[in-house]
Amino acid sequence: MIDRIIQTLVDALSVGGLYALTALGIGLIFGVMRLINFAHGELIMVTGYALLAAFALPLPLVLLFGFLAAIVLALVTERVAFRPLRNANPATLLISSFAVSFLLQKTLILFVDSRPKGIDFLPALGRQIEVVGVRLQILQLVIIAVSVVLLAALTWFLRATAVGLQMRAAAEDFRMARVLGVRANRVIAIAFALSGILAATVSCLVVAQTGIVQPRMGAQLVIIAFVGTVIGGLGSLTGAALGGFLVGAATILLQALLPPDLRVFREAFVFVAVTLVILFRPQGLIPARGLRERV
Amino acid sequence: MSKGDPLLRVSGVAVRYGPIAAVRDVDLTVGAGEIVAIVGPNGAGKTSLLSAIAGIERPAAGTIEFAGRSLAGVVLEDIVTRGIALVPEGRHIFASLTVQENLMLGATTRGDGDAVRADMDRFFGTFPILGRRRQQPAGQLSGGEQQQLAIARALLSRPRLLMLDEPSLGLAPMMVDQAYAVLRSIRGSGVAILLVEQNAERAFALADRALVMNGGVFVLGGTPAELGAHPDFDAAYFGIGMQSEQAGR
Amino acid sequence: MTNAVRRVWPLVALTLLLTMIVAIASFAPDVLQRRTTQGLVNLVAVVGLYVFVGNSGVLSFGNVAFMAVGAYVSALLTMKAAAKSVFLPDLPSFIAALEWPTLPAALAGGIAAALLAFLVGLPLMRLSGISASIATFAVLVITYAVLGNWTSVTGGQNSLMGLPIYVGVWTGLGWAIAAIVVAFVYQESRSALLLRASREDETAAEASGVNVVRHRLIAFTISGFISGIAGVLLAHFLGTVRVETFYLDLTFLIVAMLVIGGMGSLTGAVLGAVVIAALTELLRQAEIGLTLGATTIAAPAGTGDAILALIMLLIIIFRPKGIAGGKEIGWPFGRSTP
Repeated sequence: MIDRIIQTLVDALSVGGLYALTALGIGLIFGVMRLINFAHGELIMVTGYALLAAFALPLPLVLLFGFLAAIVLALVTERVAFRPLRNANPATLLISSFAVSFLLQKTLILFVDSRPKGIDFLPALGRQIEVVGVRLQILQLVIIAVSVVLLAALTWFLRATAVGLQMRAAAEDFRMARVLGVRANRVIAIAFALSGILAATVSCLVVAQTGIVQPRMGAQLVIIAFVGTVIGGLGSLTGAALGGFLVGAATILLQALLPPDLRVFREAFVFVAVTLVILFRPQGLIPARGLRERV
Repeated sequence: MSKGDPLLRVSGVAVRYGPIAAVRDVDLTVGAGEIVAIVGPNGAGKTSLLSAIAGIERPAAGTIEFAGRSLAGVVLEDIVTRGIALVPEGRHIFASLTVQENLMLGATTRGDGDAVRADMDRFFGTFPILGRRRQQPAGQLSGGEQQQLAIARALLSRPRLLMLDEPSLGLAPMMVDQAYAVLRSIRGSGVAILLVEQNAERAFALADRALVMNGGVFVLGGTPAELGAHPDFDAAYFGIGMQSEQAGR
Repeated sequence: MTNAVRRVWPLVALTLLLTMIVAIASFAPDVLQRRTTQGLVNLVAVVGLYVFVGNSGVLSFGNVAFMAVGAYVSALLTMKAAAKSVFLPDLPSFIAALEWPTLPAALAGGIAAALLAFLVGLPLMRLSGISASIATFAVLVITYAVLGNWTSVTGGQNSLMGLPIYVGVWTGLGWAIAAIVVAFVYQESRSALLLRASREDETAAEASGVNVVRHRLIAFTISGFISGIAGVLLAHFLGTVRVETFYLDLTFLIVAMLVIGGMGSLTGAVLGAVVIAALTELLRQAEIGLTLGATTIAAPAGTGDAILALIMLLIIIFRPKGIAGGKEIGWPFGRSTP
């Protein structure tokens, strides 16, 4: 019995961690640009395929390739697709990120194909070890550890560095930050690069976990993580991470707690919860300042 | 730039938003260390003029020179490096960041960390109340304190020209006192101030020279004493018919 | 007299345009006719989306969910009892026994979709702009999840097959014209006018006493109805229903059509559908390729989708109001003094 509880908890923490990292990637971009980057899923996708392409190389190079792919794609989409729209209204930005996401996905299918491909990535992590008498998968513990480390690193970066301060300022009041000399292009590019790093990390972990690379691999993650960002509060990084974590953990916990008939509806439950949050607390659990328009 | 040349020279500037001319034809000079006030009613074009100088809006006509160099084509982010600091209307402090972090952002373009810290310490020395709230989120400050913070933040870039847009707007009188206390403290320090205000009384108490703006042009100018005694002052401010012709060089 | 004619002109023009296209297509080979019918079905869907998005200024990602509801309701009502017992053995018997004629079933589908839109819209229309759009996205995902897992009623992930196929070019045209008429009549109504006013400045509109929420709800419900009909048409064109059809890919297609044609006018919606239909046909030909002697030059599969996404992006960046630019078809005979 204790075994199952610990296993479920570890499941919840690891899935929650993955969604927290994904939500953070989305939240970072929203913070500085008010853009909900649906194409974040394609950053995850491109890393997966990069890992596949570089598979024959030694591991450090494979990882490097994967991370570079996401970072470069992130910077390119910012420069080419999103910069021209920088002052557009949120609805236009939303549609355009939708379009970019589809463009990237379909273009990849064009060059590769849409069939899922198997990949034996970091198989050593698939082994199990015994912790407090329970057999757990190393990979899950790695996911939890990586999530925590990355979250801490990002928090440190934002709080303790000059660039981080500039990003936080730009997220709250972009124009005022520019008046003070903060460079808009640089801050936004760094945000995109960071989101690329987050996406690549998530991708590596997911590929190690599922052993599959396919064009839609990022989209599913992003939809749920996006929901988490909304629950946690768009524009607040803590909110994004928390929301992503909660939604991820909730899917696992619902799986464990719901009666068998209703288990398949757990996604529906999660989304109903989202809708309720949007209705009753539209600014999210941890709202960010400066988001409301004043008359 | 030779001695005697003004620090800021605005010549024949016009600012348009589509078909609407917010600023029609403006000449303005501000000397080094001088405090110049621009007063006028809502919609006179005062904010648009500041926006043109700060690089937020591109002038449709005219030239703007600062310290002998043209400001044409200078982007908003670079204004601070040229030596101009803008305190926009509405304070715009970063409410979620601490008082200290807000100040640090003022020094974004400076590289001399020690001098920045010295400047900050000096500011906290002059305004100990803010010093006590160094680590608090700036959103918790009162309106007047926030305005002080906004001005101090702008000063932290060690500008040669400080531009303020309506610092007294939306503040209770006591808070306006706090804001103007900061401005008075830098009088004589060599920093020129270009002050835009609807509240002429306050501005006049501080300024060396003042201009009345209405309908996109300057309609009257002189020292505060001269303007206060001028028969056409009210008319100029409120835009009713005037006897004297356009002034304001 | 001239003024009334001029007011109705866009409706007439669009009807004539579509009738012409279909008339030409009816002489074309079967394959082309099928494509035309598909285009007409998509047109109804785009018009459905437009009725809400164009008038309220709020983007909706949820209309495909209404299509799904319309499709499944009509499917359940028109499938033969025997077929139902095969695909949906656990279906409640009173539904299993029903075998309705196609038109009432279609209307039932539309009404069911409209009902969902109304119920969902009651809480959602209070939200502003982006929040509302996100919420409609949630509606899409929830509907997808529910329909996809409610195996006893919908067959879950499996297809329902054997639906009567009655949607050809002329039926499609009939419904397309009906949709355009409804959209046009609605947008000329006072409610729509007030809604469009709120689109420009919500605060000002509310301050003037306009009940923005109510008018949004009306638009959303009508939009739901038309989208439901589109779903019905799709189901009875393909002859099968599958929940997977009514998810992100279709949502993207419909939104792309509306964005490219222009979100601000009915002409835009129709143009978007027509242009995209023509484009996809061209691209499909390109994918089939040109055979010169022994060699075939063809675009790789999937080019069409990628190009559609690219065009949508270019339009957003360079001509955000779309091809129609927010305007209806102009009166071609110049101004005349009444």
